[in-house]
Amino acid sequence: MTASWKQLFFQILLLVFCRHINTKTPGPTPPPLVADSPLPTDVRSAILKGESHTEKVEVVNPVNLTLECTWAGNRDKQPNITGLWRKDGEEIENSLLMVQLENEQYNLRRVFNIVNEESLGNYSCLFGNEARIDFVLAAPHIGEVRDKPIVGYVGDTAVILCKMEESKPKPSTWNWYRTNGTNKEQILTAAEPHRYKIVNEGEKTKLLVHNLTEADSGSYYCAAVYPIGTTMGHVELKVITFFEPLKPFLAILVEVIILVAAILLYERSRSKKNYAAGNETNDQSNTLTQGENNESEGSSSMRQRKV
Amino acid sequence: MPPAAATKLGYTPPDGGWGWAVVLGAFISIGFSYAFPKSLTIYFKEIQEYFSVSYSQIAWVSSVMLASMYAAGPVSSILVNRYGSRPVVMVGGVMVCTGMVLASFGKSIVHLYLCVGVIGGFGLAFNLQPALTIIGTYFQVKRPMANGLAMTGSPVVLFTLAPLNQFLFDSFGWRGSFLILGAIVLNCCVAGSLMRPVNKTAGQKPKTEPAECNGAAAEEAATADTGAQSDNLLTEENQSEGRSQGCVHRFIDVSLFRHRGFLIYLTGNVVMFFGFFAPVVFLAPYAKHQGIDEYSAAFLLSIFALVDMFIRPTTGFLGNSKWIRPRIQYFFSFAVSYNGVCHLLCPLASGYTGLVVYAVFFGLAFGMVSALLFEVLMDLVGSHRFSSAVGLVTIIECGPVLLGPPLSGALVDIFGDYKYMYYACGVFMLVPGIFFFIMHYFNYKRLDEEKRQSMAAEMRTCEETVQLKMSQDEKADG
Repeated sequence: MTASWKQLFFQILLLVFCRHINTKTPGPTPPPLVADSPLPTDVRSAILKGESHTEKVEVVNPVNLTLECTWAGNRDKQPNITGLWRKDGEEIENSLLMVQLENEQYNLRRVFNIVNEESLGNYSCLFGNEARIDFVLAAPHIGEVRDKPIVGYVGDTAVILCKMEESKPKPSTWNWYRTNGTNKEQILTAAEPHRYKIVNEGEKTKLLVHNLTEADSGSYYCAAVYPIGTTMGHVELKVITFFEPLKPFLAILVEVIILVAAILLYERSRSKKNYAAGNETNDQSNTLTQGENNESEGSSSMRQRKV
Repeated sequence: MPPAAATKLGYTPPDGGWGWAVVLGAFISIGFSYAFPKSLTIYFKEIQEYFSVSYSQIAWVSSVMLASMYAAGPVSSILVNRYGSRPVVMVGGVMVCTGMVLASFGKSIVHLYLCVGVIGGFGLAFNLQPALTIIGTYFQVKRPMANGLAMTGSPVVLFTLAPLNQFLFDSFGWRGSFLILGAIVLNCCVAGSLMRPVNKTAGQKPKTEPAECNGAAAEEAATADTGAQSDNLLTEENQSEGRSQGCVHRFIDVSLFRHRGFLIYLTGNVVMFFGFFAPVVFLAPYAKHQGIDEYSAAFLLSIFALVDMFIRPTTGFLGNSKWIRPRIQYFFSFAVSYNGVCHLLCPLASGYTGLVVYAVFFGLAFGMVSALLFEVLMDLVGSHRFSSAVGLVTIIECGPVLLGPPLSGALVDIFGDYKYMYYACGVFMLVPGIFFFIMHYFNYKRLDEEKRQSMAAEMRTCEETVQLKMSQDEKADG
């Protein structure tokens, strides 16, 4: 009976002590948030040749991203070198460690928890003071958006288009904003259904503004919403009245009328002069005899033919 | 060496003087006719979004415009035959302006089809035919040069319209741009006002003068007459002129379909036009398909247009030279065949430099054919019947011109490779080229025979009239 009680005592002791043992996983992330469901994982790696290198990483959904840096080192290959991680220029806590030279290379790797828009940014790994690789983490950029202002007319409809490249993942939804002073105000079609209409078709979105007024001129923003965050595209709308193109139209019209009148008047005056001169030569030629006429005409025609 | 066809026209074309102002007017008219439909494509993307239509629906605007322009050819010819070039060009200019202004208020895509496509197309047709016709009335000796210069209008106007259209679009959107383009195209009226009807009384010489006979016979024996076909038909025409003036020249001259040269030209051209425009349309997409970026691909088109611009007057000048002018049909056949060879060799071009070389050679070929296209028709039928001829030719060419690019596009889609399209276009141009060579060889032989026969006949009538006159003089003396 004493032996079973001892076993129980030891088991209780084991339980008490074993609770505090943690298995250290490589690269624990020190974020305040802990995800409820396990995040997908992804790996991005880059090899540095030269001074520095930038890698663009597109993030759509929250992910546990492992970033790997490999550097071949410089001429004097030291056995140990300092490795450091930075986010947006600021050093990440507890990321400084010593890197060993393995197979003529230095390797740095770290797992980052990318969950929201704040996690996105510029992550850099540094080897010593010399070599740096930048990873720019961002949501997909909007491919097609007009950089010059769109021109609309008062009373007409304006169509503003934003399009994501077909190779990039489709956003969950699109939102439209317009600036009101310094603030961005979301355009809600429910509020003014006869003025605004938004048509979302997967990778492109269209904002239709009906019954334009000059007050509608300004900046409009299309926002592609992804699970990780949103990217904005900027379009400018300019509303003008129909008198704007009418001015050059009338100017060119006047120019055409003047030119046509000038050419026709010049022709009229030339023909009058020719007619007056022609009358004189007719009188002269009528005095010539038939034979002389034939001669002169024959010789002139022969001259012409010889040309 | 001037062909003596001038004497049979009934007047001597000025070959200069106001003729060069007319060439300027024709330059503007022809330029707008060809370049305007092509330059409108810049607006298509925004109009497509505005009306929410597919790309093929918006491309129809260009096709309808081109189709109307070619189909209205006979109408234009009838009007030119009746009223002369000047009123028709001015009406054409006003029509295109009206079409564009109405289109700028358009509320639907069908509105655009009607205004830009139909009205605009008709207006452009009323510009093209008269411009070509009036050159024939003003020039005989320097006609290839004048034609070459006038046809240069097309690439020059396209070159200026392309960036201008972009600027207008950025400043005024598509509606304002259409309004302003309507005003710009009204300059065709200025071109029309330059097209003064030629003075037919100046340099008029009587046609049957006994004193002329010896001189005429000697001259004609000395000159190599190339417009002989037109000569022969014109002498026949002159005999029946009093009667036919009313009927034939009021409406279209369908007796052209019995004209040997016209038929050769028509058959060759119908086949040729299947492969003429498609390579231009597909040059940029082919370059992009090879992996070249968009700006370099667009630059290829600019190289092509620049070479085209300079080769047209040069071709006109060459066509005018004394070695080529008598046998200008061979020059045209060479140009068409060269086009075909160029396309057949295109798939061998690799990389960007290869494509640049191709663009240069293609520009040369395209310019040569364009500059000579209407000159050879004038040479075959004579400027007297040219107006009707060009009307009939354009309406029949309407089919191949419209079907060519879509067919080539279908070829590209089926095979997934551009080289089969280039082979097809090359064949479509090489076969007519060789056809032209062979047929014109026989045609020239026939023409020379007919000329010898007509000269012999004229010599006989000359001798008879001289003998008659001598006997009359004897009687008068005696």
